[in-house]
Amino acid sequence: MSNGIPLAEALARYRADTDLAPPPALTDIDALLHAYHPDHLRDSVTKLAVGANAGDNCQRELAELLQAEAFIDEADLAGAPVTDIDVLVIGGGGAGCAAALAAAENGARVLLATKLRLGDSNTVMAEGGIQAAIEPDDSIQRHIQDTLRGGHHLGDPALVAALAGDGPEVLHWLINQGMQLDQTPSGDLHTRRAGGMSTPRLVHCRDYTGLEMMRVLREAVIQHRSIEVWEQSPAVELLSNEVGQKCVGAVLTSLLDGQLRIVRTRSVILATGGLGRLHLNGFPTSNHLGATGDGLVLAYRIGARLCELDSFQYHPTGLLHPSHLAGKLVTEGVRAAGALLVNGLGQRFIDELQPRDVVCAAILRECSEGRGVRVDDQHSGVWLDTPRLERTQPGILEQQFTSLMTRTHVAGIDPRREPLLVHPTLHYQNGGAVIGVNGATTVPGLYAVGEVAGGIHGRNRLMGNALLEIISFGRRAGVAATVDRDRGPKKVTLEHVNHMRRAMTLAGLPMTQRAPQVLPAYAAGGIWNR
Amino acid sequence: MTTSNATATESGQPPDVALTINGLAVNAHAGMSLVEAAWHGGVPQVTSVGCLEGVCGSCRVMLRRDKVVTVGLACQTFVEDNIEVVFLPPASAPQHHYEISDFKDGWDIHARFHKIFPEASRCRHCHGCDKACPKGITVENGVALAVAGRYREAGEAFFECVMCELCDAACPELIAPAHVGLFSRRVTAHFHLRPPNLIHRLEELRQERIETCRDEDSKK
Repeated sequence: MSNGIPLAEALARYRADTDLAPPPALTDIDALLHAYHPDHLRDSVTKLAVGANAGDNCQRELAELLQAEAFIDEADLAGAPVTDIDVLVIGGGGAGCAAALAAAENGARVLLATKLRLGDSNTVMAEGGIQAAIEPDDSIQRHIQDTLRGGHHLGDPALVAALAGDGPEVLHWLINQGMQLDQTPSGDLHTRRAGGMSTPRLVHCRDYTGLEMMRVLREAVIQHRSIEVWEQSPAVELLSNEVGQKCVGAVLTSLLDGQLRIVRTRSVILATGGLGRLHLNGFPTSNHLGATGDGLVLAYRIGARLCELDSFQYHPTGLLHPSHLAGKLVTEGVRAAGALLVNGLGQRFIDELQPRDVVCAAILRECSEGRGVRVDDQHSGVWLDTPRLERTQPGILEQQFTSLMTRTHVAGIDPRREPLLVHPTLHYQNGGAVIGVNGATTVPGLYAVGEVAGGIHGRNRLMGNALLEIISFGRRAGVAATVDRDRGPKKVTLEHVNHMRRAMTLAGLPMTQRAPQVLPAYAAGGIWNR
Repeated sequence: MTTSNATATESGQPPDVALTINGLAVNAHAGMSLVEAAWHGGVPQVTSVGCLEGVCGSCRVMLRRDKVVTVGLACQTFVEDNIEVVFLPPASAPQHHYEISDFKDGWDIHARFHKIFPEASRCRHCHGCDKACPKGITVENGVALAVAGRYREAGEAFFECVMCELCDAACPELIAPAHVGLFSRRVTAHFHLRPPNLIHRLEELRQERIETCRDEDSKK
């Protein structure tokens, strides 16, 4: 990508006070998406050859991991210490904490294992808010309709109804846990209207909603008498019964000493989040360091069915500069407040409040056709015109976007004076493991909640439904996992790994790649030796 | 486009900032964060990295510039010549125990606070917590507000807290200020956040459920 307006030239040309012509009319949205959205890039999608989704479309980098060799065999488990527990939760973000708390509230002994520190997750970075139909002119039904429409009518109506129906009770539970939310002067919860909502429904805690939620849940989990937490303990494999058809535990390792540990349990709840750190199609990501799609890999190997594996959300406005924040988000709220997108020639090119997939495709079109701002041979972007926003609404950045100002201030950038250089960034996995209304996957004993689960958001998620989903389905799975009582596993095996190995050999697939990834290669030095 | 988020490594310039990370000499590019520099320099066992944007509080580092020692977050601190950086081990488990579900009565919360955090009233005003905070929170004052029972104001002081717990490590009286702040925020929500719009909707849904049950019973 060597074309584009050089940065210095574009900066010299940039003015915050010129009149801008409106963007050209958008005539054919589908054509734009097909030509430029990363989901439609040539070679971006392949067909899976083995497993529960054999024959289905799947993103290429993900397919390589889903059809990869496991790290361990039976021999590696000899002598590994064994822990017995009622419920094992894998993942320490919002979904994992909600599941662990719900299971513990229902009398289970819970072990929560997480790859990094408890709370290191995409939850903690969520700024916007959480959807719940609580306003007088809103209803659960409208929430359901908006969510289904936003997902291009590909979401599962039963899951969406469960999600929307839980909204008010989820807020009640969060407040009981001690989460603060913004109020109006009369004491009502303050709501905003964001993309795809027919009425205001987004409840928030300034632009730190995820941080507030995560620190409260993290503390609640740490303090709970029935929950044990293992940090720096990624899961490398699930365990199955003698026939490889029921999940009866997991094998964890440690980033600190590499020791394998066996956990035997009645139910495993996967809450491992998304896969932004796989940098699909070479894109930067807004995700935290641990988002490497491990849960999808583990679930697929034990036979769980997945869905929408070729649909990902690329957030239009990831930062391109400064480099240490590359791929990190500028919240959609800035555009909602009136900030414009401007190309290297100083022109608007898209209605900024189109859905995320459309704006993303339009930015990529500008860059690819030579109207982007070129930083170097590999990087170009467009301007997010924050100085113009500040000029028309003085003080708005300081008052409403504290988080953005704090982050850019550290890097010596003042968005009030210079425009931000942005480029689409890999943000969210729309699909995931197929689940029922209690988070149960197609494999007995295995639950999936949060971003690792699929079926709720169709092919496009609305702002605020992710924070709702992690609590709603996290708690549902936590309860279901404790109700689902049998005597526990008699025998734990890696039979499902052998099944997958046989299928891969028959399909002529190479056994060179191993998965799960655990950490991106650039961060794994000296930590995770594969 | 890049496969890593670390674009500075690809600029083609030779690395020109010399520093030490966990005792290893590292040559980094100007503008790199300490996390990027650790990756770039192949520093082993840097496991405490999470969000990379200063909200998860994991990447705690101790910094030495000449004779001055400070603490901070590695993703928010940039390379400098001759700076010595040590990634700190994770904080130990909290020493103060409570479950919010045990609190039934808001009137006795102040007594409970002093029972749970007995050290909080022994602050010796050394400002260690204020200096340690990477977010510029007035930690010491926040603790004083909680000690005085002003939990709403105390919690507000800790609004930007990312629970890195560097203030806990800095406190000679083992007060655990970050947890005092979070306790203050939690009890404020738990006892005082009673939003009418939410309560009304919850009641409507409860009535609906009762009616649905009645309908189903009458069908039987």
